[in-house]
Formats: sequence, C-alpha cells, structure tokens
Amino acid sequence: MDAEALEIIHQRPIETPLIAITGGKGGVGKSTVAVNIAEALVQSGYRVALADADVDGPDDHILLNIPLRNPLDVTCTLPLIVDAKCTRCRQCVDTCRRHALFQPKDSSPILIGECIGCEACILVCPSDAIERGERTVGKTYKSEMEYLTLFTGELVPGVEESSFVVNALKNRVLNEAKDSDIIIIDTSPGAHCNVINALKGSNEAFAVTEPTPLGVHDLNIILKLLQILHIKASIILNRSDLPGVRGQIEFVSKTYDANISVEIPMDDLLVKSYVKGVPVVRMYPEAESSKGISRLSKEIAAKYIK
Amino acid sequence: MKEIVILSGKGGVGKSTITASLGTILSKDYKVVMADTDVDLPNLGLFFHAAERESKEISTSEKAFIDYEQCTGCLQCVDVCRFCSMVASDNKPLVISYSCEGCGACAVICPEDAIAIKKVVNGSIIISDTNNMVIVSGELSIGESSSGGIVDEVRKTAKKEAERLNTDLIVTDGPPGIGCPVISSMKGSSYVIAVTEPTPAALNDLKRLAEVIEHFQIPCGLVINKSDIHPGGIQAIKDFAQINTISVLSEIPYDVHIPKAIAEARPVVTAYPEAPSSIAVRILADKLKSIIKKLN
Repeated sequence: MDAEALEIIHQRPIETPLIAITGGKGGVGKSTVAVNIAEALVQSGYRVALADADVDGPDDHILLNIPLRNPLDVTCTLPLIVDAKCTRCRQCVDTCRRHALFQPKDSSPILIGECIGCEACILVCPSDAIERGERTVGKTYKSEMEYLTLFTGELVPGVEESSFVVNALKNRVLNEAKDSDIIIIDTSPGAHCNVINALKGSNEAFAVTEPTPLGVHDLNIILKLLQILHIKASIILNRSDLPGVRGQIEFVSKTYDANISVEIPMDDLLVKSYVKGVPVVRMYPEAESSKGISRLSKEIAAKYIK
Repeated sequence: MKEIVILSGKGGVGKSTITASLGTILSKDYKVVMADTDVDLPNLGLFFHAAERESKEISTSEKAFIDYEQCTGCLQCVDVCRFCSMVASDNKPLVISYSCEGCGACAVICPEDAIAIKKVVNGSIIISDTNNMVIVSGELSIGESSSGGIVDEVRKTAKKEAERLNTDLIVTDGPPGIGCPVISSMKGSSYVIAVTEPTPAALNDLKRLAEVIEHFQIPCGLVINKSDIHPGGIQAIKDFAQINTISVLSEIPYDVHIPKAIAEARPVVTAYPEAPSSIAVRILADKLKSIIKKLN
C-alpha cells in the first residue's frame, strides 16, 4: 500500500489512544485478552471503551456477562426498481458487476443475486427509475457500565456484507468514545479486509498467539499484514507452556521486530473465569494469567494514556 | 459429488484438528480430496507435510484504477463510493485498494471516463499430494480481498481433482465466522459438520452459524470438542441441538494428546491412535461413513 493511502486510512477524528488485539488464528484468546486488558485498565482507574469488531461472532459481552444495549441498525442500499419509470434499457443489468440484476422478457429488471449495495445501478439509470431502499445487514450496540463502555458490532446471519458493520462500529466508537481514556479494539480472526478495517488507526496491535505450528503459521501472516500497514506490533504468547515450538515464535518475533510483551501460561483459573463470564483479572487477581495481563495493561497505560 | 464441510462459527475450537484426523481415517476406505477454504490462514496442509504439485495465481477480485491524466479532480467518485475506498488526497481521488469491491460505481459516475475496473491477482490455489490423498488449499494474498471468490476456486479445483481420481468425496476445512468465505464454503455443499466446545462464547457462535446453515438448508450434524471441560456448558449445547433437531454426532473429550499431536504437526489419529480423542474421532468417522452413503 502506498504511503499516501496508508496515511489516510490511519487518520482518525479523535486523539484517544487506540490499541488493537488481533492474532490471525481463531481461538488463541484474542477476546479473553481484550476483555481482561480492558478490565485491568478499569481497575487502574481509567475510562475504557472496548470495541468488539468480530462481527461474525461477537463474544466480548458474553465474556463480560453484560447485555447488549442501545442497538442501531446498520443498513446498506437495496435498489428498488420503479416499473412505471423503467424503460428496459438494461444499463443497470449490464453495469452490475455481481450479476445481481436480471432482465426478464416482459418486465423491468429484478434483483436475483447478491447485491452488495454499491449503487452503481442507481447511478447509471438514465430515467431515475431505481430508488434507494434499505437492507439491514447488522447492528451496533453500546453497553455502558461505570468505567467500561462496550461497543459491539453484529452481522445478521446469512449476510455477506460484514464490512459495513465493522465500519459502522468503528465510526460509532470514534464518535461516542470521546470521554474514554483509551479504546481497545478486538478484531476477528483472519487477515481480511474486516481485520484491516478494525486495525486501521491503531497506535499498537497485539497479536495473540500460541506456541503451536498453527499458531506460528498464522502469526507470520498477521505480523506481515501489520508490517504492510505500518502498525507497531507486539506479541502476546498465550498458553505459553503448551508443548511445541517456542523457538519458532521467537524467530518470528525477531523477524518482524515484534516483542513478546507477555506470556500467559495455561491456567485453570482463567478457564474457570472464562466460562463464568467474569474477567480473570477480577475473579482471580492473583492468578498467573491475571498478573501478566495486569502488568501489560499498566505498561500500555504508561505508554499511551496522557 | 459429496462435499462435507467442517465449520464452527468460533475459531480455535478444533476444526482443522478434527478435519485432519477425519480425512486420515476416511482415506483408508475412500479416495479423498481434502480442501482448505480458510483462505486467510490455510493451515490444514501443516498436518500432512504434503508435497506441493501445483500452485497457480488466481484473480477473483477487481479494483478501481484511476488514470490521473484524465482525472480533473471533481471527486464525484469519492462521494459515490459506499465502501470508503475512494478518498480525497490533495484534491485528487485515491483508491484504498484493500477495501475496494471493484463495484464500478466510481467508473459510472466519472464524467471523464478516467476510472477503469481491472482484475487483480488476489491469491493462489495450491494442490498437494500425500500417499493417499490430495489436498487443495486456497491462499488469499496479504492485504487483498474477495476471499469468497478464492473459496469458489478451491471448491472447483477440488471437484476437478476428485473427478480425476474418480472419486466423489471432498472433505473441507472451512474458515471461522459466518461471513462471506463461510457462506461460499457451505453453499451447495452436501453436509456441514459444526464443531463447538462447551463454552458460552462457542455456543453463541454456534447459534449464529446454525442460522446460516438453516438459511441455506444444508443437512448438518454437531461435534462437541473438549466435551468435558465445562460440565454445565455441554447441557446447554445439547438443549440447543435438540430444539433445533441437529444431531450430536460425537463428543470428543479434552485430551492432552491433541496439543501434543498439534505440536508434532500430525493428525492425532496418526500420532496417538489409541488416545481417547482418536477413539472418539474413529467413531465419528464411522457415523460419517453411513451419512455419506445416504447422501445423494
């Protein structure tokens, strides 16, 4: 990506520090780490906005055991063809690159395929015969507690246009989290455009991984992505005592100049707190995992919160 | 063609681990083509140390390209882009390539005809061989988009390989989530195995996945991995399965042999054939064989 484009995608309207929790691989502990860092920062007296951008499967509210509140619909355009105005010129059908419009013999075009809401058909129609309808593709939520505000994006199952939901979530957080001292953003697994949309503008991204061949493989990819995006990267090594490939993690860490900022050993107390829906740093502050996360949170606060 | 797709909603519950073991067992009775449609992070192949036979770049993605000699800087393209992928920089439009859908709205509105929509290489398809199976995986290039298109190519290639081998069984390791690559992975497939674990987060994601499976009307069964890590959680899953008439195919206990096998990058049924999880996967494979027989 060229420098100019990078500069623009990282621009944001507020100064509040933005920390991303990502990792590539699923199930390595991204959400667990994100809610616990958020909780640890709250314990240190900061106001925290936590944004759950895993819109396919947003689980932070479950890990925190709090209800989703203040829903707002996320919509995209659905073209509505007005038969009376349509001249059957077919330009909309030919313009739609997803082949979502079909021209039957005796009527105006109908929507048959996967419309992504791009509006190219509306723009090309010479007789203003296509109106802007709406299709709900997801929701964003804002659940406020005393010091922690959880923002959540949720895709409607069966819908493919998840990028609208991630972008809507990001906008809502940046608009409504002005009073927070810090924003923590929890990304989805993978390295696709929704992960990039979640990551953009972050001061630092923490890639959660585990010392397995699968973890190493996926860590490599996510660190390469962060390098392309010019986002400072650090590693959180979860389940650090799993039998495996520690040396390879250290090698990847060196290759991408991404420090291992904390190691979290396998910890029964963490599992117990996880299934209870209470962050481990609150339920078992003396647990090994809690100590590591609390230390990291203090370092994040010292580095980024003015 | 019988396509069995392993999905989960939540990541990291054991899709690839179970797929690798299932494929290994099935390959004793069938000629099997394995497919990996987790194109962001394809790692099924890591279990098999397979020899790469073929790798080809593919273009399933289109992007906008601006001819700056024609562009007058009117910025109408910036206004019409619904994907925040056309931005203004010094009064000139700039394409943010990673999120550009290649929809062409900008090209339609441009009064100077200065925008063209062109195909770009966004990934590759890799075919590998082991002694008794073929593995087809897709790989999205980093920072590129249209993973759904790559999934479609993986499935097409897997079908061709199956025809070449004169078999009709494809076992697919799918991506996490419920979004576009998941939909591309399951649409028109024969059977979905949904893998979950007894945690509240995994159940939440399973419910969302089940809605998508129902939407596309694909028969499915459930595998509960690490079934004994949270006694309270398993009942919640079973209740959900019963209400939605989804059959529970298998409960795989938490088993230290699985992380050990993963560390060795081998399917657990190969590395530790007598381990409790291996026994459970073999029973699952037997059930799956009878399901496969009934599929058209």
